[in-house]
Amino acid sequence: MIEVIKPGLETAVQDYPGRIGYWAQGFPPSGPMDDWSFRLANLLVGNPVGAAALECQFVGPTLRFRTATVIAVCGADMKPTLDGKPFPMWQSVAVNLGDVLAMSFAVVGARAYIAVAGGIDTPPWLGSRSTFHKAGVGGIGGHALKAGQVIAVGTGNGLAGRRVRPDARPAFAADKKWNVEVVRGPNDDWIDEDGHQRFLMTEWKLSSKSDRTGFRLDGPQWTFTAMATEKAPEHGSEPSNIIDQGYPVGAINLAGQTPIILVNDGPSMGGFINPYTVPSAAFWKLGQAKPAEVLRFNAVSVEEAQTLRHKIDAICTESSII
Amino acid sequence: MLIEFGNEMNLELNFMAQGLAGTIAAQKIAGIVETAPSFASLLVHYDPDEISFKDLRQETTALIRSLGPSDDIMLDSRLFYLPTMYLDRWTRECVEDYCNKIKRKEPDPEFVARINGLADTNQLVRVHSGTEYWVAALGFWPGLPFMMALDPRCVITAPKYNPPRTWTPQGTVGMGGASTAIYPVATPGGYQIFARTPVPIWDTEKRFSVFHDSIVLFRAGDRVKFMPIGDEEFEFIEAKVKDGTYIYNVVEYQKFSVMDYKVWIATLDKDRRF
Repeated sequence: MIEVIKPGLETAVQDYPGRIGYWAQGFPPSGPMDDWSFRLANLLVGNPVGAAALECQFVGPTLRFRTATVIAVCGADMKPTLDGKPFPMWQSVAVNLGDVLAMSFAVVGARAYIAVAGGIDTPPWLGSRSTFHKAGVGGIGGHALKAGQVIAVGTGNGLAGRRVRPDARPAFAADKKWNVEVVRGPNDDWIDEDGHQRFLMTEWKLSSKSDRTGFRLDGPQWTFTAMATEKAPEHGSEPSNIIDQGYPVGAINLAGQTPIILVNDGPSMGGFINPYTVPSAAFWKLGQAKPAEVLRFNAVSVEEAQTLRHKIDAICTESSII
Repeated sequence: MLIEFGNEMNLELNFMAQGLAGTIAAQKIAGIVETAPSFASLLVHYDPDEISFKDLRQETTALIRSLGPSDDIMLDSRLFYLPTMYLDRWTRECVEDYCNKIKRKEPDPEFVARINGLADTNQLVRVHSGTEYWVAALGFWPGLPFMMALDPRCVITAPKYNPPRTWTPQGTVGMGGASTAIYPVATPGGYQIFARTPVPIWDTEKRFSVFHDSIVLFRAGDRVKFMPIGDEEFEFIEAKVKDGTYIYNVVEYQKFSVMDYKVWIATLDKDRRF
């Protein structure tokens, strides 16, 4: 059992890959935004890579352990301490009954992951323990942790002293500029060639009006092809309006002139075009980007994106633990 | 992968999208995780470790060819009778709040009646409640149905709010484009609103048996018939919902034949409104 002393800004239970199979009913997958760091944290404490763990956003929590166990913290550096002493990240550490893990604000990256041997043991909802804040389901009561709550943990036999090979860690952007892969489509034919060039040349600023449903980007105006401007009225009046369609997770959704990357808790359908899609292999970068940081987009083919995904999947295995 | 069947909003394209979704589910193609039909397209979620994009495109292209014309499509289709209060005080208050805080506009029922050439809001109620609605897709919010009128004599259209509302009461019925939607919970929204149902369309606690295998009421391919009710009936049903004794009025056994539907609409005079 783990007691929540301070909840942090938004700390919530997530599992990987999340709530899959309910997209046609409008339920997003949820799950960890940086699934690379998340999976490594679970491996360190001897859990399956998908076991439920805590995602901490921007400012981490303060937790007291009511049982001795083994934990690991990966992802953003929130200067964790255990009973006041610096706590090493990217390795498994034994904690004793009564120990207090305290985390501060993220110095590098945006989201940290706390995995506990045995995994977080909250009741699954539609097959997943992931928290979907907007609808108030999953996790603990459907929302982020609150002070005073007690979190149930499963039984595990984690070993302390396991580390992630340094070259197996995701490389966070030290200069706060993220180079994010994108695949063209599904609605790339609505944007004209100038519009495509401008999108790929621009340093987009991640807006503070971003959350787990969407990442808003500030940047230049978009320009369109005739598909956007000469269309049947049922599409809607804005050039970026289209007859409501399914949205893939990672879609760069053009709401009017504002691109919004639809992330883990995003809508399943709607009436705006998606000229580009961020492939799953690059989701971890979105999870570690903070508002006001810069995103640059690098167009890759579907095949290149999937090769990258295979590479990360291969890293998120026991072979990366020493 | 997104498969687009066309560039307009009509039932024909949605029948194709739902027909393909049904075929994919029946064939259990390895690597296809799930599909989500929308008005005129089908989104396919696949696992690239099991099927490549190229093979997926080949497989789905072959399936679309094997589907043939939409006339042959038969879809499981439940019919839900949904008591609904038209021209209710809650949606009217919501529109008034929008007018006071965001932007002045003509009240939604009057506006929709006027732009569709209807005599008054009473005729709007007759026309809007005079047809079964086809659940074309679910989305935007979990369980939110996007529906289209099956009876061509009842097809009306409405532009969306610009800017959108910041709130909409739970159970509100509204229209945008040629689509009618029900808001499962209080959310922001952009549809023109003029009715409200006391019947929950999602139930996270599964208090009602109709939710035994899903927490959302509808599936794509279901049909909905709005049953106009007054204040007293609304309150009666609301109380039944509250104490858990409300009985959902659902017809479970039906199939929807696209061909039979087309034969029927060919007999109708589309210019005569109810």
